[in-house]
Amino acid sequence: MRASLLLLLPLLAACAKGPQADLQYIAEARSLAAEWALVNQQAAQGKLTDAYVTAMRTSLQQQANTAAKALTQPDSDYAREMRAIAAEPLDAAPDELRAHSDRLKTIEDQLESA
Amino acid sequence: MNPLELTLGIMTAVGGFVDISELVFAGKAGSTFGYALIWVFVFSTVGIMVFGEMSGRVAAVAKQPVFNLMRHRLGLKLGIVTLIASLIANLITCAAEVGGVALILNYLTDAPYMLMAIVSTAVLMASMWVLPFKWIERAYGLLGLFMVTFAVALVAIHPPWHQVAGGLVPHAPAGLSTREMLNFAYFMVAIVSAVMFPYEAYFYSSGGIEEDWGPKDLPMNRISCTVGFGLGSLLAISILASSAQLFGPINVDPQLPGTTALEAATPYGKIGLVLALLGMLFAVGGAAIETCMANAYSIAQFFGWEWGRHRKPWEAPRFTIAWIVLFLAALGIILTGVDPMKLVEFAILFSILVLPLTYLPLLLLAGDKSYMREHVNGVVGKTLGWFYFAVVTAAALAALPLFLLTSGGQG
Amino acid sequence: MKPSAPIKLVGQLLDLPIIDRDGNYSGIVDDIELTGSAGKETRIAALLVGPGAYRGRMPKWAMWLVRKLAGDRITRVPIGEFASIDSAVHLKGSADRLGLHRSEDAARAWIPRKGAM
Repeated sequence: MRASLLLLLPLLAACAKGPQADLQYIAEARSLAAEWALVNQQAAQGKLTDAYVTAMRTSLQQQANTAAKALTQPDSDYAREMRAIAAEPLDAAPDELRAHSDRLKTIEDQLESA
Repeated sequence: MNPLELTLGIMTAVGGFVDISELVFAGKAGSTFGYALIWVFVFSTVGIMVFGEMSGRVAAVAKQPVFNLMRHRLGLKLGIVTLIASLIANLITCAAEVGGVALILNYLTDAPYMLMAIVSTAVLMASMWVLPFKWIERAYGLLGLFMVTFAVALVAIHPPWHQVAGGLVPHAPAGLSTREMLNFAYFMVAIVSAVMFPYEAYFYSSGGIEEDWGPKDLPMNRISCTVGFGLGSLLAISILASSAQLFGPINVDPQLPGTTALEAATPYGKIGLVLALLGMLFAVGGAAIETCMANAYSIAQFFGWEWGRHRKPWEAPRFTIAWIVLFLAALGIILTGVDPMKLVEFAILFSILVLPLTYLPLLLLAGDKSYMREHVNGVVGKTLGWFYFAVVTAAALAALPLFLLTSGGQG
Repeated sequence: MKPSAPIKLVGQLLDLPIIDRDGNYSGIVDDIELTGSAGKETRIAALLVGPGAYRGRMPKWAMWLVRKLAGDRITRVPIGEFASIDSAVHLKGSADRLGLHRSEDAARAWIPRKGAM
């Protein structure tokens, strides 16, 4: 009986709802915002090709949108933050994007220590 | 031993080592855990050296590739289970590689991703049709040497070398929470899987038959596996270390393979970016071909068909139809719109589950004197072989629970 | 090993690849036909090659699937056709003469003969 409960535990973890279940999407969006900031920063420094910048910005925004839509708690603070990231213009200021990322990192750390 | 052949063999192994899974996991491993997972790359590379050398030796001495002899060893029922399991794992991996190539072409040209998936599949299939085996292997392996850009870029960003060296010592970072510990364990399993992918043993062994290896080629086999895979592993470790230095401190855990190319853009600008993307393109493209051919080899060898790209396509017609269908199936998976990064996660998971079934027959064959004669596994080969078999079996048992508990390493 | 020598049917013969005199792969030893009976000497009469030979080696539902996908033909290779047995069964003659390449030949009709180096 105990063994079968142990086997069920990972499956139950996969089906959970709530902030803990959203943690993977928060981490994803946190990184996407930071990657986007890095791309825009290096683009401004002339280190990147135009094709790469366009392709990466589009992909990063699309992924951020997908992560925001996957949340189980769409009315939470982090959901609003993630939607704000997805709504940023493609050439958003790196500092703005990093601020989003930092705020999500704070939420992520709070949830992980909960 | 022909020095030119040997050099080409080593260089091909170096350029062909990294694929989309290693690219992705090396980057995430570095940004998430700093230099702490370097030792797992080294540990896994020794594993693939051991099994790679064994599969090349079996091909050279028994003159039969692994899947032929696998069915003989495991029997029909278990053989079919292994065949189906490895077909699924390799097909998902092939689809991930095709998706990876399309993404990289998108970064290079900004052309639409789906169009690039179709174009790249057509180009890869054309190269398999036109080129004989040796030229397929050499072309993609040598062009994959553009990946050296990552090693050069790592030196240019002046990482803390004492910390990089510290990563060679087996350890887990101190002060990890339970969740982080589970994530670390998942990354360990994922790296073992990515480095020791089953398709590598099938491809390397069948490649030995394609190139008509004999006992005289055993020294080259040993050197290609150790030096070639070892140097190739350094490229993956370079990606990890650069990620630890550049991405970890700024909250980046590369979600897109394109982010990894920024490791070369940071010190070298546009030229570094383009060279890195080209290296990724050919390394991942080569892996797409290898996974497709590994599957076609497996099917053809299991059922006793003519096989091999040392023959013209019409001389091995069922094998040819098999790789064409498999490539189109991989493309079909990509055209459903599934995220190639999700495919990478599933490729890692399915592959580790199949690894024990892949390596067990190889170990048994390489240790069988009736096939291998004086080239049978010695004490070192036996010890390392069974040790790594135990490792991949333990990793296979832990993989699914860890995948579910950590949401595929996302924490 | 010579075909006339004692042999372990499962350990040394079943599921081995078959290679003809020209070095062409010609199937797998899918089953073995024996002569003899209880109390009498047992000898190998022939090898059986083809999906039909899986009957008895797979569960019924799997055999149904095999039949749907690949048919149930069996090609019989008499013991007189064997040259030697090591990591493969080597035939004295060509696979074509024994009817072992029918599927390969049928597939060949679909492959254009151009463009390959």
